Amino acid sequence: MGRDLLMALTIVMFLGTGGFFISRMAPIIGVMRLARPTDRLDNVGQRLGFMMRQVFAHQRLMRMKLSGVLHFFIFSGFVILFIDIVDAIGQVFVPGFNIGSALDFVVDLFVTLVLIGIILAVYQRAVLKPERYHGSDERDGYIILGMIALIMIGIVLHESFYPFAAPVLFHVHPRLDPWGFLGYSVAQLWIRTGLAMHPVIAEVGYILGYLLDIGMVFAFLAYLPTSKHLHIFLAVPSIFLHKTRPHGELVPPVDPDAGMAIRTVKDMNWKDVLDLFTCTECGRCQAVCPAHAAGQPLSPKMVIIELRDAVRRELAGGEPLPLAGGVVSAEELWSCTTCGACQEACPVFIEHVPKIAGLRAALLEDGEVDKSTQKVLVGWDRQGNSFNQPQRKRPAWAKGLDFTIKDARKEPVDWLWFVGDFASYDPRMQHLSRLVARLLHRAGIDFGILYEGEVNSGNDALRMGEYGLFETLAQKNLAALEKAQFNQVFTTDPHSFNALRNEYGKLGFDRPVRHYTQAFLDLIEQGRLRPEPLNLRVTYHDPCYLGRWNRVFDAPRQLLEKMGVELVEMPHHGANSFCCGAGGGRIWMEEVGMTDRPANIRMREALTLQDVNHFVVACPKDMSMFTAAVQSTGSEERMKVIDVAELLAQAVGLDEPLDRVMAE
Amino acid sequence: MRLAVLLKTVPDLVEELALDEDARTLLFDEMSYVPSEWDDQALEEALIIKEESGAEVTVIAVDTGDVDTMLFTALAKGADYAVKIVGDFDAAMSNWQKARVVADYLGRGDFDAVLSGVQAIDDVDGQLPGLVAGFLGWPHASVITEVRVAGGSHLQLRQEYAGGLVAELETVTPIVVGVQAARKPPRYASVAKVRQVAKSATIDEVEADVAEARLAGVEYVRPVAAGHAEMIEGDIDEVVDRIVAILEERNLLRRA
Ligand code: SF4
Ligand code: SF4
Repeated sequence: MGRDLLMALTIVMFLGTGGFFISRMAPIIGVMRLARPTDRLDNVGQRLGFMMRQVFAHQRLMRMKLSGVLHFFIFSGFVILFIDIVDAIGQVFVPGFNIGSALDFVVDLFVTLVLIGIILAVYQRAVLKPERYHGSDERDGYIILGMIALIMIGIVLHESFYPFAAPVLFHVHPRLDPWGFLGYSVAQLWIRTGLAMHPVIAEVGYILGYLLDIGMVFAFLAYLPTSKHLHIFLAVPSIFLHKTRPHGELVPPVDPDAGMAIRTVKDMNWKDVLDLFTCTECGRCQAVCPAHAAGQPLSPKMVIIELRDAVRRELAGGEPLPLAGGVVSAEELWSCTTCGACQEACPVFIEHVPKIAGLRAALLEDGEVDKSTQKVLVGWDRQGNSFNQPQRKRPAWAKGLDFTIKDARKEPVDWLWFVGDFASYDPRMQHLSRLVARLLHRAGIDFGILYEGEVNSGNDALRMGEYGLFETLAQKNLAALEKAQFNQVFTTDPHSFNALRNEYGKLGFDRPVRHYTQAFLDLIEQGRLRPEPLNLRVTYHDPCYLGRWNRVFDAPRQLLEKMGVELVEMPHHGANSFCCGAGGGRIWMEEVGMTDRPANIRMREALTLQDVNHFVVACPKDMSMFTAAVQSTGSEERMKVIDVAELLAQAVGLDEPLDRVMAE
Repeated sequence: MRLAVLLKTVPDLVEELALDEDARTLLFDEMSYVPSEWDDQALEEALIIKEESGAEVTVIAVDTGDVDTMLFTALAKGADYAVKIVGDFDAAMSNWQKARVVADYLGRGDFDAVLSGVQAIDDVDGQLPGLVAGFLGWPHASVITEVRVAGGSHLQLRQEYAGGLVAELETVTPIVVGVQAARKPPRYASVAKVRQVAKSATIDEVEADVAEARLAGVEYVRPVAAGHAEMIEGDIDEVVDRIVAILEERNLLRRA
């Protein structure tokens, strides 16, 4: 009788929640089918390996110790939960079913770990209260933790009553197995209190435990599609479907008719839609976002949540709101520096930056962009630079040299130097460009530049959502590059480096591109430059477009080592570097709602380092941003911003005075 | 309400003016041209009116060179029609001549208001809108910073005077308005959108004859500096002495 009831209940719950789950998931899949295509089924082997490392070793999650460990406990519990489900349902449907002592032990072990995980999670949420949870659905978090806890209690409860209820319910006589140590200990309690002797109590206790366990598992299943814990189902496929195209490439080739603007959910690709529902609201992205830290109205987590909620509202029959400038505000979108720290931190590999850039593209199409930014976009279109200077003045910086740089459009060169806007036009950077030229000259490199044939690389234009302008600029550069004969491209500016290396590929360019830190390191290793030890203690700032987006972390560090420079790392370095605030066009935009500049935050981080008084950069924009940061933090006496090339010039004895224009 | 917006290109001052110092002529063909920024303001104001009260906006340019991109950009921003007046024109065409051909075209249509930039770098005294109004025999208001439709055939204008004085004007249409600034900064037209419009939209071409110019430019020269700054050199004492001497020379120093 009792057993029939349990069987019937199990079947009803299974069909009910299963149907409910599918009915809730189907619309989400429906939206994904409406969305744009993206190829995520290439490189299956590599994808699988990556997925295994991230899922079973929690590679990225472990970057945050407490969260990583507690998540690993709870996650393992889910894997083990399947054994328990088989065990519990097996007992009901196949009298005498037994998974064996070993598995009993494993289940109980993991029940313990999960309970510890839950206690840690509650401690983290209620006591530590990390800022990253701000804006997340806290209630949802507690509901889920509560449900998991109840399932665990259910497991122990029905296990402990099983030996006493089984004779009545299933007409079998299992023995009390000490390997299932939790059930065993609790059963001892029932024996001691005499509860075990009452068949009705044992029966009720068992059924209650069973319902808490299996019933709650089904309830959980029904609850998931409306909860951030949908990631339990979606995280693994999402990680499998992660981006494998060049990391620094913002968007794959764009269909010219469709453009890259995201106005409605249909303009995203299906992986973008999947991302929205995979987000766990953990806030790791928010915690590392420089715009968020600067008090601007942007949180990458909220962008994802806002988009997801908009899709949900639409699915529920609500009027669709415009995504750009409506669901996600223009202020949020223009605050992003495209530094990529959010993507780097996200445990489920959500791609925030292409979404933000696509939404920006929609704003741009509607003409919504501030005046100073517009001026830069128009300047790129007309003169090819952001300085509102004539194109023909681009090579003016090279005039102050006592040798002539080859015109790579006219004669073959070994290295073709793509100089970039800042290094060409900014008076403070022109000095650095000459220094780099003299270093190359000293090393005997056969190099040349494109003179007026070069225009801005378009890296920032693309990140501002101006795909058309990016294409125009890229095509101009490619036309000039086509005419030139060279063996490799040499760049000083990480933004140009990224464009040439990762974005021009879709327009047919595939020549080797190197950053000066890599190239100079080679020159030293080949003995073409011989630095003397400088005996300095410095710290180094990884530029986002060199480090995070292009994974060049070691070359600059080795270069420093070769110059006898002691490197003291800031807490945020390498892949976790903290953006200067200039990227993604931010350097030209108005500072809306900023309470603290990212560059100042970064400078204060450097100032905490003992006896370090050189802040080494490897990007012209960094030079500009951090020189200003030194001034606005009043630390001119304490810290000097210096480019790697300046250090190298000093180390090889180029007679450039070190106390240059910095303070001017 | 049917609005016409006059657009033109002017030499790009980011580049240097191409001046033949010997022949004392401007080399019009050797300069690059950009849309006049005041015309951008006029267009923006017209588009704001369109959004507010549903006007129809026609942009008009005289074909003095490459004006297509400028017209397509205006269409991409939201103008409804683009008209290019073609004929035997070149970049050296004077504002008077432009006003003449534009007025001829406008006279044949039924526009309620014509908006133009109040001035341009080649028209710093802002003749163009006045000339157009004169040829048409329409009223004209300049240095306008706001145009609103006030029901029926009335417009309300906001005009700025020196010293921060502002006038509110009311006028009947048709009228020619020289716009100093729009209520909002001009909107942006993305490259892709302009390209797309260039593929799908058309520019109406209207033939016109050019009138004989009444004034002819005789020569173009760079202004000769009337005086120049004296650089004071030397160590600090010498510099101070020299400054004191200069102040004394000019009777600017009173000794106690
Ligand atoms: S890219 Fe950087 S600035 Fe933009 S949302 Fe991500 S972390 Fe924030
Ligand atoms: S986007 Fe990623 S990092 Fe950000 S809250 Fe969601 S899951 Fe966490």
